[in-house]
Amino acid sequence: MIQSLLLSTLMFGALFSVLSISLNLQYARGGMINFGTVAYFAAGAYAYAIFTQEPPSGLDQYAFGFDLPWWAGFLAAGVAATLFALITGWPTLRLRGEYLALTTFAFAEVLHSFLLNERRIGNGSVGLANVERPDLSFFGLDEQIGYAVAACVLMLVTAWLFNRLLASPYGRLVDATRDDETAAEAVGKDTTRTRLQVFVISAIPIGFAGALYAMITTLVSPALFTAEITFFVWIALVLGGERTILGAIIGTMALVFFQELVRMIPFESVRSAQIAASVEEVLTGVLFIIVLRWQPWEKMKRRKGA
Amino acid sequence: MSDAILKVEGVIKNFGGFRAVGGPDGLTFNVPRGGFLGLIGPNGAGKSTTFNLVSGVLKPSEGRVVLEDKDLSDCKASDIAGLGLARTFQTPRAFPSLTVLENVMVGVSHTNEGPFSAMLGNWRQSDGELREKAQAALAKVGLHGHEDDEVGNLSGGELRMLEVARQLVREPKVFLLDEPTAGVDPTLQQKLASLLADLHAAGTTLIVVEHNLAFLLNLADRVVVLQNGALLAEGAPDEIRRNPDVVAAYLGADHEA
Ligand SMILES: Nc1ncnc2c1ncn2[C@@H]1O[C@H](COP(=O)(O)OP(=O)(O)OP(=O)(O)O)[C@@H](O)[C@H]1O
Ligand SMILES: [Mg+2]
Repeated sequence: MIQSLLLSTLMFGALFSVLSISLNLQYARGGMINFGTVAYFAAGAYAYAIFTQEPPSGLDQYAFGFDLPWWAGFLAAGVAATLFALITGWPTLRLRGEYLALTTFAFAEVLHSFLLNERRIGNGSVGLANVERPDLSFFGLDEQIGYAVAACVLMLVTAWLFNRLLASPYGRLVDATRDDETAAEAVGKDTTRTRLQVFVISAIPIGFAGALYAMITTLVSPALFTAEITFFVWIALVLGGERTILGAIIGTMALVFFQELVRMIPFESVRSAQIAASVEEVLTGVLFIIVLRWQPWEKMKRRKGA
Repeated sequence: MSDAILKVEGVIKNFGGFRAVGGPDGLTFNVPRGGFLGLIGPNGAGKSTTFNLVSGVLKPSEGRVVLEDKDLSDCKASDIAGLGLARTFQTPRAFPSLTVLENVMVGVSHTNEGPFSAMLGNWRQSDGELREKAQAALAKVGLHGHEDDEVGNLSGGELRMLEVARQLVREPKVFLLDEPTAGVDPTLQQKLASLLADLHAAGTTLIVVEHNLAFLLNLADRVVVLQNGALLAEGAPDEIRRNPDVVAAYLGADHEA
């Protein structure tokens, strides 16, 4: 019981930490509000499923299946997220603040309804079931443990690379671009390019995480990739104190733990399970408001600084 | 000296229906290579707007700016800065989340600055050198000892000097300064004057907007006077001091000629 709670917290916590670490780079450091996070995640998951599944047959409505090995699908997920980030970032990054937030949100909704209605991509609302996944028994690992380890590896690699990125002259450039674009331009920095780079770089791990998510659930369908995921990651980021990679990870782990805990509670009826699900959402919302209102992390930081 | 490094050719800037720069025929003047041009005129004459047009922060409505025979019409501000043009802003700009030293280091171009170099870590060799350059630039503007300060804790005058240091470290060919002495104490003004004189001696082309004429007219070798966005007068500092139009429009009758 406890073991499976910890394991799924670790697995999904690490997986979604990849998203919140990326958002940390994009928002806390890059100053770009992206409310379409789920779209890059979905792009990765669908790309993985499409590249690894068998060509369509029988009742399948999807048009493409390339039957490639898992690692090719994994790479395709990164490429798909990159391409989607370029397509969405190029026209929108001129926009600031809430305008960027709205446009990225709209892009994600467009992708969602496209996946829902264009059946040739992924069978529409039915989605793609039985997604291929690598055989982990090779390592002699339990499947669950194997995927938890894989998620942790992806999280750690992302955290490590982004940490190096931000600790370098490029990190200074990212900060300078966020602080004052006119001043950064005045010392010869192409801020448009920097913003697009940060936007795309932070989308790539999200795509990889999407592929891993598809392996874990063995299903991709539009219902799995709704704006709820975007908001979940944003809440996790804010819970974690917003500005550091470690904070992003802790916030995500805590939020996933909380949700998994609620999910563990055995319910007598469907009705009570539904109520519990709503209570969970309400509590998440309340937690969010508390953190925003009292900013405990800011206070802690100040106390430490003083 | 006939070789002009910067040419402003018939430039006009309209904000809506209001012509901030250009007057009836557009603003035209040249800056000789290695020259020290003072740009003066009453409040609202269009001096800062002219700087914005030259540095690419704003695009001219008409006319063009040419830097070393290159038409800047299609250049972004960052491209223009990359061509060796530096400028400070009338209201100093800084990067508040970086320290004073880092603010200057942003100014130095780094060969391994891209995101992939960053992840590979091969920027480290050159970073020490860069740090020394930045420290030297800070010392030149009297900010040594402030390297690790937060920008938010600097005084107004120090902030202005920080911006000068950030551009200085880039070793610009053409350096535009917008009211560099405003809010700066006399000691530091003297330091700034000798810094500008040194740059001038080393061949840097300077264009300085200043209301502090005692400061400017001792340094500049040529002066352009703007009024209502148009060229009112142009000449050596002594001619400008005696020019009756300039006296009437800007200096006032009882200025010390
Ligand atoms: N972005 C803008 N939109 C509208 N009007 C502007 C804009 N920028 C400047 N102006 C106007 O253009 C005119 C020239 O402004 P500018 O800042 O160039 O003057 P200045 O010569 O630098 O004056 P000062 O000595 O006070 O700094 C002013 O009347 C100003 O109100
Ligand atoms: Mg001005």
